[in-house]
Amino acid sequence: MALVSADTKIAELLTELHQLIKQTQEERSRSEHNLLNIQKTHERMQTENKTSPYYRTKLRGLYTTAKADAEAECSILRHALDKIAEIKSLLEERRIAAKMAGVYSDSDPPRKTMRRGVLMTLLQQSAMTLPLWIGKPGESPPPLCGAIPASSDYVAKQGDKVAARVKAVDGDEQWILAEVVSYSHSTNKYEVDDIDEEGKERHTLSRRRIIPLPQWKANPETDPEALFSKDQLVLALYPQTTCFYRALIHTPPHRPQDDYSVLFEDTSYADGYSPPLNVAQRYVVACKENKKK
Amino acid sequence: MADSAAQASMQPRLQQAQSGGAAGSNTNTGSGSGSSDPARPGLSQQQWASQKKAQVRAFPRAKKLEKLGVFSACKANDACKCNGWKNPHPPTATRMEPQQQAASLTEPCRSCNHTLAEHVSHLENVSEEEMNRLLGMVVDVENLFMSVHKEEDTDTKQVYFYLFKLLRKCILQMGKPVVEGSLGSPPFEKPNIEQGVLNFVQYKFSHLAPKERQTMYELSKMFLLCLNYWKLETPSQFRQRAQKDDASAYKVDYTRWLCYCHVPQSNDSLPRYETCQVFGRSLLKSIFTVTRRQLLEKFRVEKDKLPPEKRTLILTHFPKFLSMLEEEIYGENSPIWEADFTMPATEGAQLGHQTVLSPVAVSGSPLGKANAGTAMGCVSLDTVSSEVLTGEKRKLPEALTLEDAKRIRVMGDIPMELVNEVMMTITDPAAMLGPETSLLSANAARDETARLEERRGIIEFHVIGNSLSQKSNKKILMWLVGLQNVFSHQLPRMPKEYITRLVFDPKHKTLALIKDGRVIGGICFRMFPTQGFTEIVFCAVTSNEQVKGYGTHLMNHLKEYHIKHGILYFLTYADEYAIGYFKKQGFSKDIKVPKSRYLGYIKDYEGATLMECELNPRIPYTELSHIIKRQKEIIKKLIERKQSQIRKVYPGLTCFKEGVRQIPVESIPGIRETGWKPSSKEKGKDLKDPDLLYNMLKNLLAQIKTHPDAWPFMEPVKKSEAPDYYEIIRFPIDLKTMTERLKNRYYVTKKLFIADLQRIITNCREYNPPDSEYCKCANTLEKFFYFKLKESGLIDK
Repeated sequence: MALVSADTKIAELLTELHQLIKQTQEERSRSEHNLLNIQKTHERMQTENKTSPYYRTKLRGLYTTAKADAEAECSILRHALDKIAEIKSLLEERRIAAKMAGVYSDSDPPRKTMRRGVLMTLLQQSAMTLPLWIGKPGESPPPLCGAIPASSDYVAKQGDKVAARVKAVDGDEQWILAEVVSYSHSTNKYEVDDIDEEGKERHTLSRRRIIPLPQWKANPETDPEALFSKDQLVLALYPQTTCFYRALIHTPPHRPQDDYSVLFEDTSYADGYSPPLNVAQRYVVACKENKKK
Repeated sequence: MADSAAQASMQPRLQQAQSGGAAGSNTNTGSGSGSSDPARPGLSQQQWASQKKAQVRAFPRAKKLEKLGVFSACKANDACKCNGWKNPHPPTATRMEPQQQAASLTEPCRSCNHTLAEHVSHLENVSEEEMNRLLGMVVDVENLFMSVHKEEDTDTKQVYFYLFKLLRKCILQMGKPVVEGSLGSPPFEKPNIEQGVLNFVQYKFSHLAPKERQTMYELSKMFLLCLNYWKLETPSQFRQRAQKDDASAYKVDYTRWLCYCHVPQSNDSLPRYETCQVFGRSLLKSIFTVTRRQLLEKFRVEKDKLPPEKRTLILTHFPKFLSMLEEEIYGENSPIWEADFTMPATEGAQLGHQTVLSPVAVSGSPLGKANAGTAMGCVSLDTVSSEVLTGEKRKLPEALTLEDAKRIRVMGDIPMELVNEVMMTITDPAAMLGPETSLLSANAARDETARLEERRGIIEFHVIGNSLSQKSNKKILMWLVGLQNVFSHQLPRMPKEYITRLVFDPKHKTLALIKDGRVIGGICFRMFPTQGFTEIVFCAVTSNEQVKGYGTHLMNHLKEYHIKHGILYFLTYADEYAIGYFKKQGFSKDIKVPKSRYLGYIKDYEGATLMECELNPRIPYTELSHIIKRQKEIIKKLIERKQSQIRKVYPGLTCFKEGVRQIPVESIPGIRETGWKPSSKEKGKDLKDPDLLYNMLKNLLAQIKTHPDAWPFMEPVKKSEAPDYYEIIRFPIDLKTMTERLKNRYYVTKKLFIADLQRIITNCREYNPPDSEYCKCANTLEKFFYFKLKESGLIDK
């Protein structure tokens, strides 16, 4: 029943989102008119070649309206973004619930595990649809936006993706992509699932072995300080795998949808680093300097 | 016998091809460079120029003199160096306006102060005709002047400027423009491109059935026409992708092309030549790869604008045609470029009316009695033959469609309409909206993404290898180095030197996977044709491109490559990490090839497992998972349909929980309602006596074979006649094969027999355009045999 109600809720939200998008367009056409007015006034002032008090007042009025229009449009857009976030979180809730219940939502006969290629596609898709953080003027990006780490007392929620340091069968330590199952406040330990279902392993790990992944992309155009900079040491998900490895930032992204280009530490190359490979913002986290080096 | 009629019928076809081609080249301009005019094959610019010329030539003489004066040296005295009269009162409106008052002959020149009359004195006794010729050059000079200014490419600009000066000089001296210098004069190479391409059609396709041969001929015409109007890439663009020596040769050709072919298209003062008639193989070599890509791209982009009959021609045959042509252009010793090329077989040597005639002759011959010796063109003959048929069994058409469905259903098969309907729903474009990734369900086939990427040109597959006898081209060598890198990175336990030795060994080949021009994976193999197997030597995909289905798609391509080359076994020594991969690709540890065949041939690796894969030449491997997915979808839809018709839910069976191991199928509640029939009952309906069935089928087959429209289906299609036939048609069948099958008592049920008959028809419709002669035959033959089947009681009436 819970699933059904989530469905109707999502349908409602989608309708609202649709409305909001239409409103945006209305708002936009309205401000268009005013912007045109401003432009015309400027032109007229230029031809008359003087700034009379009349124009000054007129322009001030026009600009005030334009600013209000822009703010109204902006607030609708933010509202729409909130709706999208809400839909995504409902979907996520549903996914977790289904996972808990051991139900496959897919109508096709269940496979024991997802094909790895499909898993990779899903991971890429989740990186692509990670929301971009859009702050109000003067607002600085919050923790878990881009390179900004979570606060020290932050506890990752159930279903959140994290980089988790686990002991592999051969005793080597490895950073893997995992999903949080629970957190115990009494022991300060996380329970996480390996994202790769083939692993089917559940790990219990202390806080320091967990690095939450960013929840927003940082916009390189407005918040470049929230990105890792060139030559910084990071942990990055090696393309087409579910493991994080140490890497140096080769080039940070230039546009919001761009990936980092990183050089993985790789002894099989003469200079000790792989050729530049692309990794999405979602899968690049700070590397806690480890002792051996 | 029907010469004129046949010729008449060919005419529109050719025109069609031409208009198709012209339309193609017209729109090409966009794809060339964004600059002013150039490849605009004329029309607009050419028309504009000729309009302007007509306008100028209609001027009164005084006005003409003024116009020519501008380009005429002052003859007042020897000292005056003025080379053109300049109007002292520059007119406000454009000079072209005829109403504008012509300047007076006494008007002084702005630069030398001598009168206009002194500039044009040499024109006094010149005929009107000559004046007009000179005026034409004036218009062309003005146009060239604009072109020089607008052109951004320096090489092109230089040539324009040269031509500009040349024409100016000609006006001054009242001469004829002749391009001088080291360019030589056309034709620049023999045989020319046109001859080469026509030779190619003869060389490769003269053995084809007339219909296909005609198709190829049309394609060649279209290709030549496109080429004549194609805008070549500039030498600087060429230099970026080619080697130095080639680039300087290309620059010469490019300049020739501008002077003799391209510019004269809109500038008729210069003598004009067709690209395909004055250039030969060397130019084609330089431009073919790029032009081919642009051509195909353009057709792909504009496929919706093409008329439907052209679309099939272009989209299905053109790429293949170009690939075959490519082999001849770059091939070492292709005969088509020999000056004295002649086709050994004279039959069909003359492409043209003869080829159109022959299908008539063939289709006519079975009808012989009616038509022998009568002069009937193919058009009229067509109607005659269909009339004969409908006359025989008038009620057939409407009766058939209804009966069709019923009959086949009885046989347990699904009516074609239903299948088509289902096909429509599963390929419904509305159902395919949304982001691509969401289409990939957890059950998407492993190679689905790779297949899509290949279709979109993101990845490419090439079989390459080193050669000691001929110089490999640079790109191939770069790719081989790339492969060696990928293999040595991904197979760290193999010594690098060993990998290098095998990848560069001329006996080994590698199927390379290319993305963004770089090698990201490959399978190195060695074919042993005498031993009937191929050894898989290395197989790898670079680590950051793994898990995308590339490995599977690579292996499927390799399988198809081997089917094409007639080798049906793969053998490989797989290490412990590779066994899983090879299993997924259909390899097994069960070796069927006798040891004697591979021992001593295949490289033996210690600690590795020998695995084998047997290929089935009837499986289209790269499409297999897609086909199966389709089939599943169809069946799912059919089940849904059936369910919605029956609408009854029975409680599940409980007997198995109670320990029952097996129950008769018919005792499952509701199963009969779905239309299921116990097999024994169905068998009862079949003919019990095998000999009776055999005789009936034999009789029937004999009747079908003598049907006038059965001629295309008498024997297996020859690969030499339709090179791509067996790539498109996976389950070929023909009346001769059916006769053999009948003799071998293969048709134990009528169902098998009818299925084969139906396949003849569906194959024909798949391979040929619907309005082709062949499909018409298929249509009539299909009606005929269903009629006969019904008549003989093999299917319900």
